[in-house]
Amino acid sequence: MPMLDIKNLTLEIDTPVGWVKALDRINLTLEKGEVRALVGESGSGKSLIVRAIVGSVPDNWRLTADRLSWKGESLLSMNAEQRRKIMRKEIAVVFQNPQASLDPSATLGDQLEESIPAHLLAGKWFWQRNAERKALASKVLHKVGIKDHQDCLQKFPHEVARDVNHKMMIAMALVSEPELLIADDPTRGMEATTKVQLLKLLTRMNQTKELSILFISHDLLAISSMANTMTVLYCGQTVESGKMKQLRKRPLHPYTKALLDSAPSFRKELPVKSDLSALDGTIPTLQHLPIGCRLGPRCPRAQKECVKVPAVRRIHEHYYSCHYPLHRDKL
Amino acid sequence: MTPLLSVRNLTLTQKHRKNWLDKAQIEHFGPIEFDLNRGETLAIIGENGSGKSVLANLLVGAITPTSGTIKLNGEACVLGGHAEHNMKIRMIFQNSNESLNPGITVGSMLQEPLRLNTTLNERERIQKVDDTLRQVGMLRDHKYFYRHMLSDGQRQRVALARALIMEPEVIVADEPFAALDPSVRSQTVNLIMKLQRDLGLGFIFISHNLGIVRHISDRMLVLQHGMVIETGKTETVFNWPRSEYTQRLVASHQSLMPNF
Ligand SMILES: Nc1ncnc2c1ncn2[C@@H]1O[C@H](COP(=O)(O)OP(=O)(O)OP(=O)(O)O)[C@@H](O)[C@H]1O
Ligand code: SF4
Ligand SMILES: [Mg+2]
Repeated sequence: MPMLDIKNLTLEIDTPVGWVKALDRINLTLEKGEVRALVGESGSGKSLIVRAIVGSVPDNWRLTADRLSWKGESLLSMNAEQRRKIMRKEIAVVFQNPQASLDPSATLGDQLEESIPAHLLAGKWFWQRNAERKALASKVLHKVGIKDHQDCLQKFPHEVARDVNHKMMIAMALVSEPELLIADDPTRGMEATTKVQLLKLLTRMNQTKELSILFISHDLLAISSMANTMTVLYCGQTVESGKMKQLRKRPLHPYTKALLDSAPSFRKELPVKSDLSALDGTIPTLQHLPIGCRLGPRCPRAQKECVKVPAVRRIHEHYYSCHYPLHRDKL
Repeated sequence: MTPLLSVRNLTLTQKHRKNWLDKAQIEHFGPIEFDLNRGETLAIIGENGSGKSVLANLLVGAITPTSGTIKLNGEACVLGGHAEHNMKIRMIFQNSNESLNPGITVGSMLQEPLRLNTTLNERERIQKVDDTLRQVGMLRDHKYFYRHMLSDGQRQRVALARALIMEPEVIVADEPFAALDPSVRSQTVNLIMKLQRDLGLGFIFISHNLGIVRHISDRMLVLQHGMVIETGKTETVFNWPRSEYTQRLVASHQSLMPNF
């Protein structure tokens, strides 16, 4: 049984042009110890999936799912208290924008100690617990690669560099020793050296603690270096998912192929300064979603059939939704 | 052959004072020297705060340097103060989203620099706007659009059109690809390379994305603490990085590369 199990998750948003499906029958699972990449262009709904999992969807949106469960229990039928408990102890999230998710009026030290759950502290007296908190805090800071612990803990978020805040967010997520880490675009804007440090840290946590990770990113290079499996999203629909190796070697969905081809580093034989392959056009807005397969207007393989939504098909553990997948070469 | 752009001994000294009692801290930037030929691309890399954006701002004349010369086609530019050379060296800002005025149409936004700096009449200006939109792969009708009606990729194109409309010889861009989606990013990269082939445009860009740096740049300039610590042909820098910082950066990038 997967630890996180999402089946046919649909999220409808009320817009000036009526209700639109910002997420349309999303499927996603995560086993214990698995690292899954969730990729897709900006606006494809990655962060909305995170919101659905953590339960921060506004009341006036419609959320439905055949299954949205955590360790066998349905998240949708839990009360707010049970859900909060899971979010405090078992699932940790690093949100996309560290600056916006840190409290500007509290020191980084206070915020970090605040996120240590009580069950990790053994001491009976508050001074013992305070000492334990301090020790845990500096241990985790060391892990995420912040050198000047003491100095940094006294500081407010605006007083330190952006990448320190970023690492701080990750430290806060890891200090509660979660079972699942959801990291929403954790490497955006990071230079290569810092990025590799972070990836190494996550890989180590994954190997030593069996931490499961849902890694959301545009950065294919970073993601493919550490993920076991990958789910590709386009415009609120899951278009393909499977083993990372398999998808990279032999994508079946035209969008996955376009995505992989867009990263010059993936293509060794690509001559310097030659054109990169790109799909025409851009991702449509929620207000102008095409009917049927949402890639239709941009897809080089589209045909008449594509105005119908393609069903999910599978070959072993490899799932895809396309009427004319790449392994059926004859069109 | 005279290089398109030739930068010599460019420096900037800034005084910082936290409050009036503090002794002023002095920050030095530079000296910077490089040449750029027609149709060539120079990539600027370095950590946050190493002075990449300062350099970009110096090049387009948004900041006046303390010393140094910038020559365009062998002629010295007047430095700083939004001088004439601004029109020939144009900047695309980090976040094209925020730098586009939401209250006016794409057409009037593009006409603005023409109105201020040329003697073209209304009809000629509109013609120029149409031509430039076509150059960046958009339609004439897009001139009636407001910012909110455009997708990210189209906004990036408008920002590029606004830089191109004064027929510059060099474009300077601060992280032009970071906010773009993979497919839009490839489109933009292709567009810039095409403009370089067609118009001989010089392109200088700042980026953390070493994959793209390696693919499109001819030369690199590595900054650290406001100093150039390494410069050279891109392939040379990637294959034989000399400074410790560059070695680490390249090694990190290589460690992510898939094994085929
Ligand atoms: N509060 C909201 N009200 C209306 N629409 C929203 C809201 N939040 C998100 N959306 C829409 O839902 C879609 C998915 O957004 P989401 O934030 O999940 O994208 P994303 O995949 O995380 O993109 P990015 O890579 O840029 O973070 C977008 O089209 C967005 O415009
Ligand atoms: S279903 Fe049709 S339009 Fe959609 S990806 Fe497949 S071929 Fe392209
Ligand atoms: Mg997001």
